[in-house]
Amino acid sequence: MGITESILNRVGLGAKKPSGDQPVTYWSRNRGWLLLAVTGALFATYPFLPFITDYWIDVAFFVGVYALLGLSLNIVLGEVGLFDLGHTAFYAIGAYVTAILNTSLHVPIIVLLPLSALVAAGFAYLVTSPVIHLKGDYLCIVTIGIGEIVRLTMINNPFNLTGGPNGINGIGGPNLFGLAINSSTQFYFYTWIIIGIIVFGLIRLQHSRIGRAWNYIREDATAAEASGVDVRSYKLLAFVLGAALAGIAGNLYASKQMSVSPQSFTFIESSLLFCIVLLGGLGSIPGSILGAAVVVVFPEVFRQFASYRLLFFGLALMLMMIFRPGGMWPRKREGTGLDGLGIRGLPKKDEDLIPLGKPDPAILKPATTAVVRGVKLPPVTVAMDEGMLLQTHGTTLKFGGLTAVNNFDLNVQTGKITSLIGPNGAGKTTLFNMITGIYKPTAGQIDFLGRDITDLKPHTIISYGIARTFQNIRLFPSLTCIENIMSGPHCHARSGTWAAVMHTVAEVREERDIVATAAYRLDQVGLWKYRNELAKNLPYGKQRYLEIARALATSPHLLILDEPSSGLNDKESEDLMVLLQALVKEGFTLLLIEHDMQVVMGISDWVAVMDMGQKIAEGLPKDVYNNQRVIEAYLGKEDD
Amino acid sequence: MATFVEQLINGLTIGSFYALVALGYSMVYGVMKLINFAHGDLFALGSYLGYTLLIASSSWVTVHFGLWGGMAIAMLFAFVGIGLAGVLMERIAYRPVYPAGRLSLVVSALGMSIFLQNGIMAIWGSRPQAYPAAVVPSTRFSLLGLPVTTLQVVILLLSFTLMLIIWFIVEKTTFGAAIRATALDRSTATLMGIDVRVVIFFIFALGPALGGIAGVMNGLYYRAISFNMGWTYGLKAFTATILGGIGNIPGAMIGGLLLGLMESLFAGYVSGAWKDVFVFVILIVVLLWRPTGLLGEKTAEKV
Amino acid sequence: MRKTVSVVLACMLVAVLFLSGCAKKTGDTGTIQIALQAPITGDYAYEGQMAKQSVEVATELINKAGGVLGRQIAVTVVDDGSNPKDSAIAAQKAVSMKVVAVIGSYGSSVTEPAADIYEKNKMVSVAYGATALRLTVDKQRTYFFRTCGRDDAQGLFFAKYAVETMGAKRIAIMHDNSTFAKGVAEEAKKALQPYLDAKKTEIVYYDAITPGEKDFSAAVTKLRNTKPDVWYFTGYYPEGGLVIRQARDAGLTCPFIGGNAAINDDFVKIAGLDVAKGALMTQEPLVTDVTTTIAGQFRDLYQQKFNTIPSSPWPVYAADALYAIVGAIGKANSTDADAIATAMHTNMTGVEGVTGPTLFTAQGDRKDVPYKMYEVAADGKLVVHKP
Repeated sequence: MGITESILNRVGLGAKKPSGDQPVTYWSRNRGWLLLAVTGALFATYPFLPFITDYWIDVAFFVGVYALLGLSLNIVLGEVGLFDLGHTAFYAIGAYVTAILNTSLHVPIIVLLPLSALVAAGFAYLVTSPVIHLKGDYLCIVTIGIGEIVRLTMINNPFNLTGGPNGINGIGGPNLFGLAINSSTQFYFYTWIIIGIIVFGLIRLQHSRIGRAWNYIREDATAAEASGVDVRSYKLLAFVLGAALAGIAGNLYASKQMSVSPQSFTFIESSLLFCIVLLGGLGSIPGSILGAAVVVVFPEVFRQFASYRLLFFGLALMLMMIFRPGGMWPRKREGTGLDGLGIRGLPKKDEDLIPLGKPDPAILKPATTAVVRGVKLPPVTVAMDEGMLLQTHGTTLKFGGLTAVNNFDLNVQTGKITSLIGPNGAGKTTLFNMITGIYKPTAGQIDFLGRDITDLKPHTIISYGIARTFQNIRLFPSLTCIENIMSGPHCHARSGTWAAVMHTVAEVREERDIVATAAYRLDQVGLWKYRNELAKNLPYGKQRYLEIARALATSPHLLILDEPSSGLNDKESEDLMVLLQALVKEGFTLLLIEHDMQVVMGISDWVAVMDMGQKIAEGLPKDVYNNQRVIEAYLGKEDD
Repeated sequence: MATFVEQLINGLTIGSFYALVALGYSMVYGVMKLINFAHGDLFALGSYLGYTLLIASSSWVTVHFGLWGGMAIAMLFAFVGIGLAGVLMERIAYRPVYPAGRLSLVVSALGMSIFLQNGIMAIWGSRPQAYPAAVVPSTRFSLLGLPVTTLQVVILLLSFTLMLIIWFIVEKTTFGAAIRATALDRSTATLMGIDVRVVIFFIFALGPALGGIAGVMNGLYYRAISFNMGWTYGLKAFTATILGGIGNIPGAMIGGLLLGLMESLFAGYVSGAWKDVFVFVILIVVLLWRPTGLLGEKTAEKV
Repeated sequence: MRKTVSVVLACMLVAVLFLSGCAKKTGDTGTIQIALQAPITGDYAYEGQMAKQSVEVATELINKAGGVLGRQIAVTVVDDGSNPKDSAIAAQKAVSMKVVAVIGSYGSSVTEPAADIYEKNKMVSVAYGATALRLTVDKQRTYFFRTCGRDDAQGLFFAKYAVETMGAKRIAIMHDNSTFAKGVAEEAKKALQPYLDAKKTEIVYYDAITPGEKDFSAAVTKLRNTKPDVWYFTGYYPEGGLVIRQARDAGLTCPFIGGNAAINDDFVKIAGLDVAKGALMTQEPLVTDVTTTIAGQFRDLYQQKFNTIPSSPWPVYAADALYAIVGAIGKANSTDADAIATAMHTNMTGVEGVTGPTLFTAQGDRKDVPYKMYEVAADGKLVVHKP
């Protein structure tokens, strides 16, 4: 238990137990509101407390600026997991835009508040678009580079715009409808009210489809893409939003300091922001604020130690990571129950989410041929063979000199179970990867539902109606089971950032549908009681079912399963077969890679055999079973 | 043309320092995926240790062993001292944080960097110190008509030799295989009977120790040392490592040399004030062209 | 266990917080409290720590001589970390301590936000290491003063000297992109403009090195190839010592002139005596040259306490600032900020610091600051240069 929980427990504001097996008291239900009220009261009265001088109010102002910066970096680093060590670039741009436009064109500061955000956001979009695909540490060094480039450009004073190392001074203060903001107390309230509004929006965003998508990317970007999340767009969105918030922080800083200079935007500042997010807890909104408080207040409190105060600061950072590596206020997922999802209008009892029968059939129906909730599929351009849902024509993949898949024609009949079998290393998963868009074929075409999907990105293919599972199970380990499944309906919803923050009627309805779909599928595979468990805590067999449920939740026409029975014992395999057949009755088409001959023989309607990248046999299960070439491929040729 | 060659030599000299620091840096980074921000400060500490040895004994060392001998002993002293510091650092600040993941380690490393910097300032003061001219071995000679010092040549050769030794150990010996295995998958390496603690001890002793040697050489060559000299070198080491490709030891070396060359040529021919901007722009362009660094990374991801 | 540790730590933090919040206020009797804002940590720590030492020495001397208005003075140090944001916080801290006046700070862009805060709170502040013109030119401040010279005075002095005394036809100016160095460089360039227009000289090199680095071989090679007659380096001594040695190694022979942050004992140490010998410097009168009693006492006491004398002019200006403030308090016969400010603007005749009379213009700049050309003598000490 962390400090917060224990304190709250002692005050009687303990965490609510999930699944309602304890009486829910007024306190526990309203714990959040009470905490908010107390915090709010503290914030409001802080400047007027007896021993608080302008000095401490200014410190609180800077805590605010850094909290905002921490929150902005938290989106990029905490929610999405992108390694950003150059975030001060956006802070600097916000500050300098404010400085330049205010001193030379006399644009009012209050107008420059959103303008700085916009310019910083635009800049972020321009510079991160080309590099957003880079992995981990490579992205890190690029962000460091961007930060340094911005700072050095400011120093070198191109076109005499930035004032060089001197910077720009004489910046005015904000003027809110005639009220000039210039005292420490005024700035304090001005800043923290802005932060309050932003935090409100961020919390809503965190619990929306957007926030979940970001977390999916952080947990496993490939799986996220394969669940229909447009990874690239969401990563960019994170950077753009983060930059906008940092730009606002820059505006606040510039208008209070009345001068800006490059010294405030060094790489060390970026590292400090990084520390703020981690000290608070990745992805935690209160954590970022707390982290900012520590980073700003700590050196102040330790002023007595003169030249040693930074020494203690370094020590404190190390100690923090040793004793509370998860952060001071980590984001809690386990134990928050379905309420923790932040979705409105959920029934009081979780069970009511799965009404007798099914939820709205429209939600569960596989993607229709024309329109999927507003995603218009392009017109039919390809003539499929009769009864075929998916066809690959001459699909080939070469890696340099190695041909992994050679001229493969796969035919998947609508409403049937097709199995793809073959020895290990034959290229089966590679073919699946091409169908789902993870690899681009060197040659050949893939047609689905009358459309050419060869060159499409994975998330687009998912939205057309194909879903898959992975050979090595790719779940989102630190998220709860229900959150994992909720990635399925993601691609069929349309709500964007604005809708999420404003909780529009359409968005609220969409969120409920998403939960209902997820709940239904979770129940279908028999995992409903694990809904609030973290996915990584599930035993292996159940993780497989979870992955299948996630794929089902995308409401696909075609379900591609990569070795679904691997790791399951006989009983579990039998249960799997029953499930798969039930799915077919429900209207799904299945395409499997399988090694377990019982499963293949037991349920397949059609079998294709692959060896060394090529198709060596195809037909009804019993014909393939007795095919000489197939037997040789598996067992080897008999010596003559 | 002569100027061009001169600038090339300048660039190679700077580059060999970057390369040497990057070498030690990428040893730790390649295996532990730890961005050791404190590496630059260990480099600075090495410089200070060498300085203390050579000054404190009133040049006794140089008197008895000669200038080159004095340098060798100072380097040995720094090698052992910083190696020890590296191992201690791992034990105290990093090992408890491993379970928390990479990002928490970065914060720990940052804290360690701040701690070391201010610690150096507390012990040796904030004023820059200088290796006295008396302890620096330096004869000049003419290479192709250009002024070159023996120290420059020694530094370049030493960097290459060290790199070859490290490369040989990592690529060609059994222990090196253990190191590479640990880099790829620590838990499986343990299951295969590799004593991961020995591997970790080795890299945290050797990596920083190399930085320490680089620090002494740097002090002897430039003669000025200050408590915050490590920060720039740490950042350049990180840049060089990424440029060359993560986990790639020759890559780190080449990255360092290239970095030095680019800086030198750009500063010499265009503008000193914009040189770092230029270097970072080139870095970004290189990564766009080759997303896993110049020499590439040695990992594969199975989907 | 961890919980308990956290709670204990939190309580300790809160306790320290309260204790540090207790301000020492200057009453009508008792010690006069003055604050020194200086970079004790961060990139300029060496200057800040020397300033602290300087002010300590000056405090002791002043108190030994009886203090002012019959009261002793005490100086508290507030660290501004060498960066603008911490400077703003430090200034607020000083204000909350309700001191009579502040000595601070070092670095023009660091001083700027602090000066704004002191001005807003009507507190006298005297900067000792902030030479940018804009501090007194762009804004009219009543309570801001400085004991150091301005960039334009230094730049002008160099320009005239280089063209008229040295007859240089090809001038090289090297800075390091910091506020101070670029400021002086820009002013020098401005002051050279009339000569450039009259075609009496030309600027063949105008570029920056990166502070914090060690290797400037590329820059000096480029510099050498422009064949300058004189080389003006306006940066700081850690880089100065390195760059001059590397330049000489690369074969550059023209005279080296440093700005007043470039040359001191450490410069000689880093560059080596053989290289440093003969280097020139544009500088206000150094403490070693001033023959006043105070200068002598200051030198002796500093040497006694710290075993050396300050290696750059700025810490000495910090001591000057203290003398100026104390002198103004005496002249105004009050510790009221307005009285002190008025006295400093109008009534400072007879007040002397370590470097001589501390008189201020209406804008707060130090009046009558002469610049001289200094030279590094054969023994490594700075002496006035005889052309």
